[in-house]
Amino acid sequence: MSSLEAWLIVVAAALVTYATRAVGIFVLAERRVPLVIERALRHVGPAVLAALVANIAAGDGGLSPAIDVPEAVALTAAAAVAWWRRNVLWSLGAGLSAFWIAMAVLG
Amino acid sequence: MSLRSSGVIDSAAVRDMIPLCIPAIPFGLVVGIAISESAMPVAAGQSLSTVVFAGAAQLATVTLAGVASWWAVVVAVAIINARHVMYSAALSPMFVGQPLWVRLIAPMVLVDQQFALMVLYREDDPRAIRRYYLTAGLGFWAVWQLTTALGIVVGPAIPSGLRLGFAPAVMFTGLVVLSVRGSAVPWAAASAALAGALVSAAGVGLRDRAGILLGAIVGVSVGTIVEACREEEAP
Repeated sequence: MSSLEAWLIVVAAALVTYATRAVGIFVLAERRVPLVIERALRHVGPAVLAALVANIAAGDGGLSPAIDVPEAVALTAAAAVAWWRRNVLWSLGAGLSAFWIAMAVLG
Repeated sequence: MSLRSSGVIDSAAVRDMIPLCIPAIPFGLVVGIAISESAMPVAAGQSLSTVVFAGAAQLATVTLAGVASWWAVVVAVAIINARHVMYSAALSPMFVGQPLWVRLIAPMVLVDQQFALMVLYREDDPRAIRRYYLTAGLGFWAVWQLTTALGIVVGPAIPSGLRLGFAPAVMFTGLVVLSVRGSAVPWAAASAALAGALVSAAGVGLRDRAGILLGAIVGVSVGTIVEACREEEAP
């Protein structure tokens, strides 16, 4: 990627992020947000994060190879431990450990 | 005279933010390591910490940079950060009596942890609110700069055999499960996640990683519909 493109992303991402955090303070403060919007916003987190993982796992655009056994083991372990411990660090630690063990075992 | 005794820094805010910083440290390291492995120049990657200051969005940005087009990356950032609209709206009463400079700076540090602190804050005095808010917010910001920079430094020293390039996917998986578990409507949230993942995986061949956007839109719609349906069934 070109350096110009990288800095374009930095500036645009900063503006977009600022906008999401400022809109309530400056615009919505005195109004009621429609219930359907409020609901939709709550589902943005799970939907977009899951879409990201799936795209990374299925992708072959140089991001990572299409999913293989160690990757599947890592994501399963991360999901299970996140559910069990309710903690993203335990989840990350378990997922990566499982990933490395699976890679070592499968050689 | 120290900053603390001059009343610029709110010591209660410092005390309250420290436990919330702890999970941000390994997250910051993962982001920093991802920057060091990204197609994005390191200076631009670290600048994201300074001016975007949003872990999941940064991780998505550096992972997608060079793979997706710039506007697709920015759209991904916008949808990941859409939850901040809720934070901002929920905290808005605190900013009614604040001077413009406070209202302009406040959004820059409105991260998840900041929101978690501020929803529990119970003072009414605008001056106390801004001292607390700015101390905590700038504290989180400073910790984030240091940890992502540290990740950039240690990243290249980590053996490539460990394949830490896959760490963002592992981290996002944990975050999906936590967001479903923590949801007030877990079934709807799980449907949103499942639909988002399936559509995104099916659309992996689309240009500019448009499958992510498509998955997000379908996932949010499915989650909202499932929630509405279950509510109708309930007595």
